[in-house]
Amino acid sequence: MIVLLWVFMLGTSFAKPLSHQFEDKKLYYSALNEFFYETYNKPVANSSLERLEKLLFFTGIELLEDYELSLLEKYPTSSIHFILARRYFKKKEYKKSQEHLKNVKAEHRYFPESQLLKGQIFGDLGQFDDESESYFSCQKTAEREEHKASNEKIKRYYRMIHEICLINKARRLFKQGHYKESIDAYDQVPKKSYKWPYVLLEKAWAYYHLGDYNRSLGLLITYKSPLLDTYFFPEAEYLAALNYLKLCLYDDSLTIINQYYQFYRPRFNQLEKFLSVNLKSQDYFYNLMFKHEMESKDVEDFAFKIVTRLKKQTRFSLDFNTIYKINKEIEAIYSSEDQALKRRLIPHLNLVKENIISKINYNAKEDIFNFLETVPFFSSQLFKIQLETLSKKKDLIYTGRTLISDRSRGDYENVKRSRFEYFWKFEGAFWADELGDYSLGLKSNCELNKDHKSESAK
Amino acid sequence: MKFLALLFFIVSMSVFSKDEKVIYEYKKYEKFDLGNLEVKGELIAPGDLTVRERDRKRFSLDLFTRKDFDSIQKRDVDSLR
Repeated sequence: MIVLLWVFMLGTSFAKPLSHQFEDKKLYYSALNEFFYETYNKPVANSSLERLEKLLFFTGIELLEDYELSLLEKYPTSSIHFILARRYFKKKEYKKSQEHLKNVKAEHRYFPESQLLKGQIFGDLGQFDDESESYFSCQKTAEREEHKASNEKIKRYYRMIHEICLINKARRLFKQGHYKESIDAYDQVPKKSYKWPYVLLEKAWAYYHLGDYNRSLGLLITYKSPLLDTYFFPEAEYLAALNYLKLCLYDDSLTIINQYYQFYRPRFNQLEKFLSVNLKSQDYFYNLMFKHEMESKDVEDFAFKIVTRLKKQTRFSLDFNTIYKINKEIEAIYSSEDQALKRRLIPHLNLVKENIISKINYNAKEDIFNFLETVPFFSSQLFKIQLETLSKKKDLIYTGRTLISDRSRGDYENVKRSRFEYFWKFEGAFWADELGDYSLGLKSNCELNKDHKSESAK
Repeated sequence: MKFLALLFFIVSMSVFSKDEKVIYEYKKYEKFDLGNLEVKGELIAPGDLTVRERDRKRFSLDLFTRKDFDSIQKRDVDSLR
């Protein structure tokens, strides 16, 4: 009897901690939660840090987004340093963020993204050389990790990091006024990239600064293609009107403005209403992401397009992947664990899942809000262009002058192009391989007639 | 003695003069002959009314042009996680 008791006691004292048991059963989310319970009030050994890294490899770091900073500081692993660096970066505490970024190991999977953060901090601090170096390192290591990755989704994630670093390099050149060089950098972003539709607008600004208004307009016309109908930016409409104003094509400028007011303004108002009605919902926008366009006739068109755009974001795919894995874990617990364990683990997993759903929902709301926030600013800027256009037209009438041609239309001579760019006429259809390479051939209308007098003035 | 008599006369005159009313009279009609007035200076005749031609003042509005993409860069980092 005594021997049996001794064996039992020995067995319980050497029994694996729960986090290990869950890990062995591949219940990683439950194991991670248990790991923190077991270690939060004890000194953390190196072996524990290695285990944490292993668990985070399976779970990802998304569910640690709302953990307390003081708790995370206890676990100095590369993943945790990266989470802390992001958190401090968002709070604009750059020094603390940089300290944590230094500790992300060069061979770690989050290293490329840490270099992206580093670059952004250097950019904000005006340290352009360091910024450039960080983006270069980001691109190189993202490429390395992309080649190593076996899963297509992970490959796509590293490609995205690589492209953002490349685009940020172009943005820095733009900020420094090196517009030609920035266009060269933007050109390296492949058309298949998720970021490419956003790049069009930025490139159009670079051409605008170079005075190539035709090329700028051509890039903005790409947004009219059916393939890009989910991408609508008030800023693009504004830039188009501004380009026409610079070419002294006042009527074209006014057409863009009228179209904006008549077609888009009522839609923005509807979108605003739609957002305010569902503002307090914790899952409306999340559910909307899984609806087919036909099922959501009641939903405002723009909202649906924005939500479709959000689904292409990396964070959505990471968060959604987490929900998928948690559901799998819940299923596994239901099928193979006893009642006591079910009661212990499932409520926690459901809570984590709910948190991630409300995070996705919140992000969608925030993106719609950010979109709407740009509307009043660009509406007022378009109104300014309208005033400027009318003022210029009035000047011509008062001074009895006319422009060289009232509506000069396209001509091949007005298309500026490099020796690497070919020319085909636009035949009324958008071809996928042509997208982003359009240029208008409009002649600048800013020249005055030689006699300086219009017929009516005579 | 003569001096005393003169002094008495002056004093008595000043005592009696306090009772007299002083009446001021203004001219009821006065004629100015402007033709005969001489004014120093140059005599000129007014010509045609003219306004000097000048350009209208043009107010140019401060239109927005992008100088950087800082805010968009931050949004890109947020969209990753």
